Amino acid sequence: MTDVLEGDATTDVVIPTIAASKEGQPVGWRHRHLLDVDDLTMADLDLVMRTTDAMTEVLGRPIARVPALRGRTVTILFYEASTRTRVSFEVAAKNLSADVVNIAASTSSVTKGESLVDTIRTVEALGAQMLVLRHHVSGAPYLAADTFGGSVLNAGDGWHAHPTQALLDLFTMRSRLAGGALNGLRGRKVVILGDVLHSRVARSNIWALTTAGVDLWLCGPSTLLHGFDAWARSAAIGGRRITVTSEVAVALRDADVVMALRIQRERMASGLLPSLREYAARYGLTAERLSLAAPGALVMHPGPMNEGVEIASDVAAGAQSVITDQVANGVAVRMALLYLLAGAPGAGAAAPAS
Amino acid sequence: MSGRRIMTADEIRRATIRLSHEIVEKQAGTDGLLLVGIQRRGVPLARRLASAIAENEGAQVPVGALDITFYRDDLSLVAQQPVVKGTELPFGIDGRTVVLVDDVLYTGRTIRAAMDALVDFGRPQAIRLAVLVDRGHRELPIRADHVGKNVPTSREEIVRVHLEETDGEDGVEIERVAELELTGEPVG
Amino acid sequence: MTDLDLSRAWLVDPSSGREGPGEIVVTDGILEAVTWLDGEDAAGIDATGVVVAPGFIDLHAHHREPGNEDAETIASGLAAAAHGGFTTVCAMPNTTPALDEPGVLAAMHAAAIVSGSPVELLAHGAVTVRREGETLAALGELADAGVVGFTDDGAPVRSPAILRNALAYAGALGLPVVDHPEDANLTEGAEANDGLIATVLGLRGWPVAAEEAAVGRDLAILADVVRDVPGARLHLTHVSTAASLRLIRAAKTMGLPVTCDVTPHHLALTDEWVAGARRWAWEASGDPWSDDVVIAAAYDSAMRVNPPLRCPEDAVACLAALADGTADAIATDHAPHSEVDKAVEFGAAANGISGIETALGLVLSAVDGGQLTLLRGIEALTSGPASIVGTRSRRAGSVGLVEGASADIVIFDRAEAWTVSSEILMSRGKNTPLAGMRLPGRVLLTIAGGRIAYEAPEA
Repeated sequence: MTDVLEGDATTDVVIPTIAASKEGQPVGWRHRHLLDVDDLTMADLDLVMRTTDAMTEVLGRPIARVPALRGRTVTILFYEASTRTRVSFEVAAKNLSADVVNIAASTSSVTKGESLVDTIRTVEALGAQMLVLRHHVSGAPYLAADTFGGSVLNAGDGWHAHPTQALLDLFTMRSRLAGGALNGLRGRKVVILGDVLHSRVARSNIWALTTAGVDLWLCGPSTLLHGFDAWARSAAIGGRRITVTSEVAVALRDADVVMALRIQRERMASGLLPSLREYAARYGLTAERLSLAAPGALVMHPGPMNEGVEIASDVAAGAQSVITDQVANGVAVRMALLYLLAGAPGAGAAAPAS
Repeated sequence: MSGRRIMTADEIRRATIRLSHEIVEKQAGTDGLLLVGIQRRGVPLARRLASAIAENEGAQVPVGALDITFYRDDLSLVAQQPVVKGTELPFGIDGRTVVLVDDVLYTGRTIRAAMDALVDFGRPQAIRLAVLVDRGHRELPIRADHVGKNVPTSREEIVRVHLEETDGEDGVEIERVAELELTGEPVG
Repeated sequence: MTDLDLSRAWLVDPSSGREGPGEIVVTDGILEAVTWLDGEDAAGIDATGVVVAPGFIDLHAHHREPGNEDAETIASGLAAAAHGGFTTVCAMPNTTPALDEPGVLAAMHAAAIVSGSPVELLAHGAVTVRREGETLAALGELADAGVVGFTDDGAPVRSPAILRNALAYAGALGLPVVDHPEDANLTEGAEANDGLIATVLGLRGWPVAAEEAAVGRDLAILADVVRDVPGARLHLTHVSTAASLRLIRAAKTMGLPVTCDVTPHHLALTDEWVAGARRWAWEASGDPWSDDVVIAAAYDSAMRVNPPLRCPEDAVACLAALADGTADAIATDHAPHSEVDKAVEFGAAANGISGIETALGLVLSAVDGGQLTLLRGIEALTSGPASIVGTRSRRAGSVGLVEGASADIVIFDRAEAWTVSSEILMSRGKNTPLAGMRLPGRVLLTIAGGRIAYEAPEA
């Protein structure tokens, strides 16, 4: 038997108010696809955050499952190997009671030269209503969205975007820094440190964080920041705050969040960096560098990590690290997005009524 | 308020008191009783019922809140309605009698969803239903055990319950659909 | 042979530098009379209605025959040319097999004859065998067979030594070397113009320096060759950047025998279009990410072209170069592709825009936008190209509204717009960024060599 709460005062349960838009209408989700975070407004971000709160509550239950997507088929199509993200999406879909089809491109006819368009048509003919796509070429999800009749959720395309990562990063910061209120992130200093040029995590975070009013800094070797100065200047026109610098000390000073990005061996091979050793020495996030940031600053990393290169082991495992939070929040955020996309106007065939 | 008023604040108060008596009578006491309000307006109603029971019986019946957003069978509502965070069942439900509380009973789909949700939390001995207004037009075989007021309606009408905790005042009104801009209110 | 009597039209004749109200009469395929009107007769005729111009000359078009007829054949290519108002087309040698010896040229001419099209087909020969950049092709034999120039396009002449030798050898033959200026080392894996758009879209950048460096190299080599081969000539094709045009302008001022062409898409479109914008280059300003600018989906592979669509400043520089004569001609770089090669991810798509049918529409849009005069625009499509390859054309010496010459004219109506669609395009290549858009200046009639090459169906 579970606890019997006799004698307690009536539990003070929260009756939340429904956030109203300016017109007095409740705010809904209107996007059929989630390809990038660049066109999500502050209201959209807030809705995703609050939906994720609800999913977090679901994940805390003894049976962490709701029937919201029962009867829906979610197809996960990954052209790039990634166990952690693929599994995260699969768990999210299953927690919503969806049927999941998981396709890893290396095992499918894709390697025989089947085009992306053909693969998507086949997958749709076999009943897919929602497509979670990861691809190594920037822009592939846009081609998918053009071809596929249901909803497309971009799980990462080339260097371009990784919307679910940016949203789970935002959720993590909102929980740990802003007491659960998205507005609390306004004006906070967040630093993205590392290979910004090749990072879809960086690009999506740039959009999400600047929409939320963050004071965003991008820092790394100049070869890996190529082109971002122009973006910072263009962003300023729209009121977004981005500062680009190669000086680590300046970037980290008083930062509230430091997000380290993975540096890959291939960058040396293409001549962009002399060596990983030199990168680690000049840009690695060590405890000493972290001490330049604000006390209690959050340490984040999208994973997988190269410990000892972009981030020191003690920092990755240290008290300020919220890296494991990020992974846990990933499932909740993905559940929220699958749920919102399933109900979006124009999204595939409606689930059969129970 | 626009539309035709069908219950005044006083009528709501009296109905609430009567419902609280009925609930205790059916249970032959307050042992094992749990009141679970369905978000949103079922929650303040559940609290009021608990207050009334406390006054009459001197016993505190635990109150919880249930958000059935993820249990609806119609996903097209997602686009219009934001998620309302608010499932809190700070007690075990196994072997207890759960009285679901809602403002309006209409097609019965909300109650079906609520029962689905409850069953994910445990195995109650019994589930009962108390509603302030029953407007008919059931689409599922569901009935309320305790009803504040039966109001015959047509499908072109909407019943609106206002409570001080959520809307600033108490009252129930009925309105023809053609007269108003639909604001995506949940259909009970 | 055709007869035609067109009165009350706006005539544009760059060969005499003249435009105005007039009438033309074509009898049995000869342009018998060109009458300029004035006074009362000219009343009510202006440049906003029916316009008559000499048939356009395209310096740079890709017909995929032999070897890739899925994308285009000579027959469909010439039909598309006529639809675009072109009566002379210079085909590029990147066929399979490459046009590196006269036999291939003969096959192409045979195909042109079989097609029945009266549009004149000329061709460039390859600079190197199989366009591989290693050894010189049979330049002399190709010259004898009638090529108008030598090029390894869609690739640059990679080796400076080969370029030097080709310029010298071709110079003695009286033909230009046409280079596609691109430093391939800087463009490895490149997808879109290196700038704000590529950065935000996560596409590998195609730096301006890759074209500028190649142009600089070519000009330096030309300067060297000209010392002992005064007849050497260099033509730089599809120049797309302000930086390159600055170098070319300076070289011309110094008297170097260099010419260049720009494409219609580099005049009017920009890299913003890759992000989903659909505004002309001269209309671009402010933040491209604001809502009313982006109106189409991003990453449309129809935008993928070599050289890439550049930033608005570069496009405007190309327009200015046309106006001041730094750019001698407009050439379409018509590059049809089959859907198989284009309906793929942006980075995997073939480069090229099917542009010969939309060239006039884009030029007229620039004229409408105040970026170019009508006379200069038509000149860049007629006399300009003629000055580079005209001696080899049957129209040599008579590119213009010239009485007594065989009729090569195009008649279009500036008051009539048309919508670009797969059905209307006559090329097999439907890969155009302008799909669904309305362009001004619907072509009504194209006469090539005295015969009707294209006639618009009754609306």
